Amino acid sequence: MSAAPSLPVRALAALGRPVVAAARATLELWGVLIGTLAGIIRSYGKGGRRPRGAVLAQMYAIGNRSLVFVAVTLGFIGMVMMYQACLQFSRAIGDLSQVGLQFLRLVVSDFGPTLTAMMLATRVGAGIAAEIGSMKVTEQLDALRMSGVLPIDYLLVPRFLASIVMTVALTILGAAIMYGAGGLTAWLSFGVNPRTFFDPAMVQPRHLALGLIKAVTYGAAIPIVSGFCGLRARGSSEGVGWATTAAVVGSSFAVIALDFALSVGALWLFGGDL
Amino acid sequence: MIGERTLTLLGARAIAVTREVGGIALMTGQVLRALLPPRLDGRELVRNLHRMGNRSLPIVALTAFFAGGLMVVQSAPFVKRLGATSLAGWAAGYAVLREIGPILIGLMFSGRVGANNTAELGTMTVTEQLDGLRALAIDPIRYLIVPRVLAMLIMLTALTIIGDLVALVGAAVVAYLVLDIDWRTMYFSFADNLTPHDFFHGVYKSVAFGAAIALTSCYFGVTVKGGAVGVGRAVNAAVVAAAVSIMLLDFFITYATA
Amino acid sequence: MTARAFVEFIGVEKAFAGKPVLRGMDLAIGKGEILYIIGTSGVGKSVTIKHLVGFLPIDRGEIWFDGQRVDQLDERGFYPVRRRVGMVFQNATLFDAMTLTENVALPLRKHQGLGWKAALADARRRLAQVYLADFADRYPAELSDGMRKRAAIARTLTLAPEVVLFDEPTTGLDPVNARRIDRLIRELSRTLGVTAVVVSHDLPSIMSVADRVAFLYQGRVHALATPAALAASADPIVQQFIAGRSSGPMETPGF
Ligand SMILES: Nc1ncnc2c1ncn2[C@@H]1O[C@H](COP(=O)(O)OP(=O)(O)OP(=O)(O)O)[C@@H](O)[C@H]1O
Ligand SMILES: [Mg+2]
Repeated sequence: MSAAPSLPVRALAALGRPVVAAARATLELWGVLIGTLAGIIRSYGKGGRRPRGAVLAQMYAIGNRSLVFVAVTLGFIGMVMMYQACLQFSRAIGDLSQVGLQFLRLVVSDFGPTLTAMMLATRVGAGIAAEIGSMKVTEQLDALRMSGVLPIDYLLVPRFLASIVMTVALTILGAAIMYGAGGLTAWLSFGVNPRTFFDPAMVQPRHLALGLIKAVTYGAAIPIVSGFCGLRARGSSEGVGWATTAAVVGSSFAVIALDFALSVGALWLFGGDL
Repeated sequence: MIGERTLTLLGARAIAVTREVGGIALMTGQVLRALLPPRLDGRELVRNLHRMGNRSLPIVALTAFFAGGLMVVQSAPFVKRLGATSLAGWAAGYAVLREIGPILIGLMFSGRVGANNTAELGTMTVTEQLDGLRALAIDPIRYLIVPRVLAMLIMLTALTIIGDLVALVGAAVVAYLVLDIDWRTMYFSFADNLTPHDFFHGVYKSVAFGAAIALTSCYFGVTVKGGAVGVGRAVNAAVVAAAVSIMLLDFFITYATA
Repeated sequence: MTARAFVEFIGVEKAFAGKPVLRGMDLAIGKGEILYIIGTSGVGKSVTIKHLVGFLPIDRGEIWFDGQRVDQLDERGFYPVRRRVGMVFQNATLFDAMTLTENVALPLRKHQGLGWKAALADARRRLAQVYLADFADRYPAELSDGMRKRAAIARTLTLAPEVVLFDEPTTGLDPVNARRIDRLIRELSRTLGVTAVVVSHDLPSIMSVADRVAFLYQGRVHALATPAALAASADPIVQQFIAGRSSGPMETPGF
């Protein structure tokens, strides 16, 4: 007998479906991360084939695609932020001598890594998802498996390692440009002496450490989220398009959420000393 | 020689960028011309508003909430050191309304709606559906592009206004959870220090960002070449161009309205 | 001034990236006529009909439509022409985000000034005329090639065009569906006086429907005759094409 399920049951099912889907997706996402870490151990452990050439090629691809992009965007946003900060400081406190110190602390521990990673999420994330997604829908991943190569080892491990290295490198570049552009703005628009502005006294090892941890975390998260989106691509070219846009939004949001988590963690550790 | 090769590469890239900027300017002209006289396909406009809003509201709200919270966390060491709890709302609200809110919401909107729009128009282009419209004596600019541009512009502005509210709520929630600052203090910190000017500063920006995202995403969509692979490439180019435009516009608007 | 044919190509030349495709093509088409354009793949048949509706600009020559020179028009100037000259593409180009009914209703709403409801009702009626009543609410991706082509024809006819350009309307269809399309073209011409220009490789269709056939070869109209006369032609190149022999005097690029 198959009586129609009662209303509460149907309502529960309707509510449950997206929850189940989300839970499954989260599980899969962690699966991709664990698979990639295992892949690194396989590749770099005894008897593994180290993908050194592939990592270098990916590093070059990321750097080549994103260097100018990161430099331009971070430069402009550095100018804007400094401008707004100076406006506000001069209105509220009337003294701009502290502005450089505070700005440096923020750039090193937050804006530098986070905004660089937001830009990379757009550029690199979409690329990874499109590549892996189109290999998936054209059954090239199955072909890899048939020849005894794990797709994660072959595709994701080099991108993962390259992304971490390049995110750190581009963060250093982006933060430097942002800081420089901010100093220039403070000097030209508000007459802040560059010598007072470019004073690294306030930056302590913990700020550098926090910035570095963030950069590494974002660098790891972007290829994992994007690879996950690419591996989920179904159907034809439309599926690849969907995977690409999902990767952009997914990895951008991952950056914001991780930033939040790490910042709160650091605040909890150091409190007012941060 | 390495220097020579790099120069050639840079030159080629500069030419490509110039061509794209020219193409986007041309499309802007066509869109404006199609709006005079303003014969607008209201149906298409409403359909696009509905779709785009549906698609992006959740992620925008989530982003805005975190953005508000983040700004509180960033100002927290300062606030804690000085014990100036009344400053927390001021710093976070100012940053969110003027900069962080419009930029992050714009980037998310570009990734969600702009990228999707490029993929859709790109697929229509490579399957000759745009020529299909032209053959029916229907102008693709008027029928397809104008409603999408207007819808993105209106939707991003609306989402930024909503996002501003959500971000302030996020700031208050995080201030309460992390800094133990109660709601009333946060509320008065907002109300006493933030001016309508701060709010509108961000809203102007979102209008410009919406136009930039719309025009770049449509341009890269209708100029797709080379089948499905070309569509993927166009999506990538569109989101990058949108991000650069957002940063540039942010800069110019900040200075122009100073 | 000499009297012009309804549609006339005069010395039309077109090259892509320096590679000539049309090299001084002359062709005159009478009102109400069914003219078939044949020729080997890549000879420029699709290019020829795209010139008439302004999808591709010509390099040299003239194109006339109903006493008006059209080859110098810009994109905006072509819109009035396109309302009178309909085109059915090789691969249907239905809008895949819309159902069949919505596809057909779109030009009705845009050009006949119908409201959305009225346009949808009219679209359904028109789909029924091409035997698609049962599929009116399906999306193009859910249909067969033949159905899509018929829907595209119905959509083109909404503008009541005086000339319809068909790009390979029967290619890839089974014989039954192909003959249905043939009948549709003939009826259009006989009952509504529509001029039909049909690009085709389909010999049975050519023999039974065409009033005249233009055989394109090396960028020009090599032969222009009734189907029967063409089949009986002594020209060795025409003979090779009609008989479908792989070797002969014909020079085809790429082989
Ligand atoms: N937009 C274009 N850009 C570059 N070359 C083109 C373009 N359109 C057509 N061509 C070239 O012009 C030539 C004629 O193409 P056309 O499409 O007219 O061939 P056709 O006669 O319709 O062939 P088929 O029977 O295969 O459809 C081909 O060599 C083609 O490569
Ligand atoms: Mg053709």
